[in-house]
Amino acid sequence: MRKKHKFPPKWLVTSVWIIGFLLLWEFGAFLVENNPKIQNPEYILPHMWQIFASFFDTNLTTATQTPFQVVLEACGATLSRAGIGFLIGLSAGFILALLMNLSHIVEKVAFPYLMLIQVIPILGLAPIILALTGDIGISRMVIAAILTFYPVSANTLAGFKSVSTEQKQLMFNYAAKIPVTYWKLMFPTCIPYFFTGLKTAAPMAITASILVDTLQGDGGLGCALSQSLKHNTTIYVFWEIVIAAAAVGIFSFYLMGMIENMVSPLQRINRKLKRGDKG
Amino acid sequence: MRHFLKSRKCRMISSVMYPVLFGVIIFVLWETQILHSIMNTSTDVLPVPSKIASVIGENITKLMGNLWITTVPTLIGLAVGSALGYAVAVIASIFTKWGGGGITLVSCFNAVPIVALAPIFNNLCKHVSTDIGTRGMAAKALVVMMLCMASMSINAFRGLTELPPFSTDMMKSYASSKRVTFVKLRLPNSVPYIFTALRVSVPISVISALVSEYFIDTREGSATFCPGLGRMIRDTILKCQYSAAWSYIAIACLLGITLFVVLMIFESVMLKNRQKQ
Amino acid sequence: MENIKEPVKNDIEISIENVSMTYQADNGTDVKALTDINLQVKKGEFVALLGPSGCGKSTLLNIIADLLHPTEGNVIVGGTTPKDARLKQRYGIVFQRPVLFDWRTVQKNVELPLEIMKWKKEDRRERSTKMLGLVNLSDFANHYPQQLSGGMQQRVGIARALAINPEILLMDEPFSALDEFTKEKLHEDILRIWRKTHKTVVFVTHNIQEAVYLSDKIVVLSPHPGRVSAIIDVNETLPRPRVPEMKTDVAFNQLVLKVRNSFEEV
Repeated sequence: MRKKHKFPPKWLVTSVWIIGFLLLWEFGAFLVENNPKIQNPEYILPHMWQIFASFFDTNLTTATQTPFQVVLEACGATLSRAGIGFLIGLSAGFILALLMNLSHIVEKVAFPYLMLIQVIPILGLAPIILALTGDIGISRMVIAAILTFYPVSANTLAGFKSVSTEQKQLMFNYAAKIPVTYWKLMFPTCIPYFFTGLKTAAPMAITASILVDTLQGDGGLGCALSQSLKHNTTIYVFWEIVIAAAAVGIFSFYLMGMIENMVSPLQRINRKLKRGDKG
Repeated sequence: MRHFLKSRKCRMISSVMYPVLFGVIIFVLWETQILHSIMNTSTDVLPVPSKIASVIGENITKLMGNLWITTVPTLIGLAVGSALGYAVAVIASIFTKWGGGGITLVSCFNAVPIVALAPIFNNLCKHVSTDIGTRGMAAKALVVMMLCMASMSINAFRGLTELPPFSTDMMKSYASSKRVTFVKLRLPNSVPYIFTALRVSVPISVISALVSEYFIDTREGSATFCPGLGRMIRDTILKCQYSAAWSYIAIACLLGITLFVVLMIFESVMLKNRQKQ
Repeated sequence: MENIKEPVKNDIEISIENVSMTYQADNGTDVKALTDINLQVKKGEFVALLGPSGCGKSTLLNIIADLLHPTEGNVIVGGTTPKDARLKQRYGIVFQRPVLFDWRTVQKNVELPLEIMKWKKEDRRERSTKMLGLVNLSDFANHYPQQLSGGMQQRVGIARALAINPEILLMDEPFSALDEFTKEKLHEDILRIWRKTHKTVVFVTHNIQEAVYLSDKIVVLSPHPGRVSAIIDVNETLPRPRVPEMKTDVAFNQLVLKVRNSFEEV
């Protein structure tokens, strides 16, 4: 006799694990608190409720702002700057994938260099890009663009290549010109792949933006991060930033998913079919 | 002649020739400083390749020291993290009902940006030892470990559970125990997925090691502290020592490339006779 | 082996003369996919290209469709080259797999060739509705291909191929991926459609019974090298209209045997 197939439900499993993780964290914080060698336990590992409480802290930590306001404002700055680089990167990535698909020569030239970009630690090169461009705003955009560029072009190219020979033969049979073939066949096919690339790239663009912020004080999450580490503000700003950064990363992932649903109903259709409502 | 142009040999040669040609062009533009006028930078900030090469040559022993400091935690974190990630996936595949949540949790580490993870671990490791060098290495290894765990556990889980149709039925029909099914079916099936994970985690390990180095608090450092590559890149740029900075950058890139090439070689050996998926 | 030729008539739709197709394999040797093929297809005829794997039947179809160029020989379609015929959209093509676009509804899939030909929206809608009616899928116009069975998807493929009213219908093993029951149904469907629309059909298959049941004329191809072994007239033995009961007739089975025996072993 088998148990009911759906037990335990997914949300229960995830909740149990999250609770387990929080308990582990609290245990760690407890150990740290009671360790006589450590003077300021919250610098190492504060309790979760302490972090949570700090969001509602109304004590001014800088001249004018509570911890939460600091983080919120920094969030906005980081996101807007990452956004521009992201848009540049995704356009460039898409165009390169298109060119690589249109021309064998471009594909052969670009392919090894794409692999190279994947492997070189671009994020680690942030300081030199800052030095090269001289302007922190531009360097933020450049790094975010480079980090977005690779996943978008690699995935979009995979999407183009997933078009079957027969589909191309079909369009050829109807004497469809190249732009028509691209518009009616290649682009719709590569949309799911394009968004997979975006979902990978979005958190990375945000990471890049934060990192560049740490190099030079100019607002933004990274700047707030390094300030709090240097004890210029309360350490809870640091922890709030960590959570905010993670939240922003996860949020960007889901944002891409939402945009995809708006642009291309295909995934929604496929998911509905998987769940079993056939027509 | 037409025959040759269409032949396979010609295609293979051109796959190599075109990018090499392109690379040579860029190199020439760089060395002759035409690149500088295009990008409007001075040769201070962007030294010509020959200068970079000579700086590397002069300081090779020091560079190797820095390289060592970066590479060791990277490799340790890679090995330990991947092993742990695989273990998590194995446990999750045995306890299928509750295991999935564990995978989700571990993969969440991917969501926290490296720039946030690095300071957390640096702080956590503050009291591991009195030597800042060891502290730094421990923190770096931990960050790399977390990220490799995340990547490996997701992919290994898929490899252990996404089996060809009816393969478990076939194993059952031979009355094989769960352990035998695991060793003879799931384990070999997961090997390509291990490499999928490694292709992502090797570059990420190098990047996260470099980024973590930025956050090491050197105020509490000792005089004999030898920083890693990432730290040196940042410090030399802050001091406007651009040639030195570029030599560190070159070595860091070489590290990333070398590790990846080693991975590719390893992969082609291990996956030699498999069907292309 | 003798060259099999037919007397030239004025109503020849497709004329294949001395066509050969040779290409280079990966190890450098020459592979003769087709050698010296001569064949004529009359207007409105239903011709089967029959043979085992590797005999070049799909290659021959692709040459007619202008998807491949023969290394030697000529193909004349309705007085012009295959390329001209393709550019004038005189072909409807049905592949082994349905090849539908799964981001489009069934109706929009049928409208695809009409969009390429820049028909107006109302005309497209009218025509695609008519075609779906022809294949009995009117109720599924707003479904997506993923929601349909394999046989239904293939029927959509046929509706799409007929949408621009091509003179020639090229079918490359269209039913070989389907189960027996669906296949039989689709045989009846395709015969009904052919009777109604009077198209010229070139039908590639490896199934002898299918070829005998459906076609006017069977072109038997043998591999290594690909060549015509026999051209067998089916109408002599089995008159039209064909009905399923014929499949148990002695005459039917004798014809199947005759076709099988006309294959040349390598």
